[in-house]
Amino acid sequence: MRVSDLIRRSAVAVRAEQTVVDAASIMDRAGVGALVVVEGDRPVGIVTDRDLMRRALARALPPDARVDGVMSAPLITVDAADDAHDVFAVLRRHPIRRLPVTSAGRLVGMVTVDDLLVHMAADLSDLVRPVTAELLFAQHDAAVPVTT
Amino acid sequence: MRATVGDRIVIEGHHVGEAFRDCEILEVRGPGGEPPYVVRWGDSGHEALFYPGPDAHIQHFEHQVD
Repeated sequence: MRVSDLIRRSAVAVRAEQTVVDAASIMDRAGVGALVVVEGDRPVGIVTDRDLMRRALARALPPDARVDGVMSAPLITVDAADDAHDVFAVLRRHPIRRLPVTSAGRLVGMVTVDDLLVHMAADLSDLVRPVTAELLFAQHDAAVPVTT
Repeated sequence: MRATVGDRIVIEGHHVGEAFRDCEILEVRGPGGEPPYVVRWGDSGHEALFYPGPDAHIQHFEHQVD
């Protein structure tokens, strides 16, 4: 399985020169909690709703403050063609919940811990179901007839 | 995924009860109508770059040539 198979949601990006208010509004409208920050086509950082709260709102930054001033950088990414296990390795090494996916250096999607958990839980449920059925409703073979 | 300027992108909700969201494509950055797209979200006027995932689909509109 490749990283691209794990992508469940679209990625949204803002330009580095856009403002923190732009970022907050786009998060609200797009229904996402993180935006990738790009310079041209190149992803350079990520800004989360928590970043906006801690680095902009709590510090009383002006509404026109640039979003690249509150983003987290350098950006940690994973390549779409990599093995899916690489995602888990990256998430183990870094305290992050959202991982932008790139291909040839360009953003193509976003993988989140929440999505991974939901889908892993669904996969586990699929595996558990037949085992549970076997435990609750055991199918015993009929006794082998005794021949004399 | 291919789109043209003026098309609409609809993003399905990720949670039970969450409404879909939509945006209008203002500019196509990829070759041959492929992503990324510069989009405008609703009536807010805020623009962003959008990289569609499996949760998004395009609504094409007929574009009249004057």
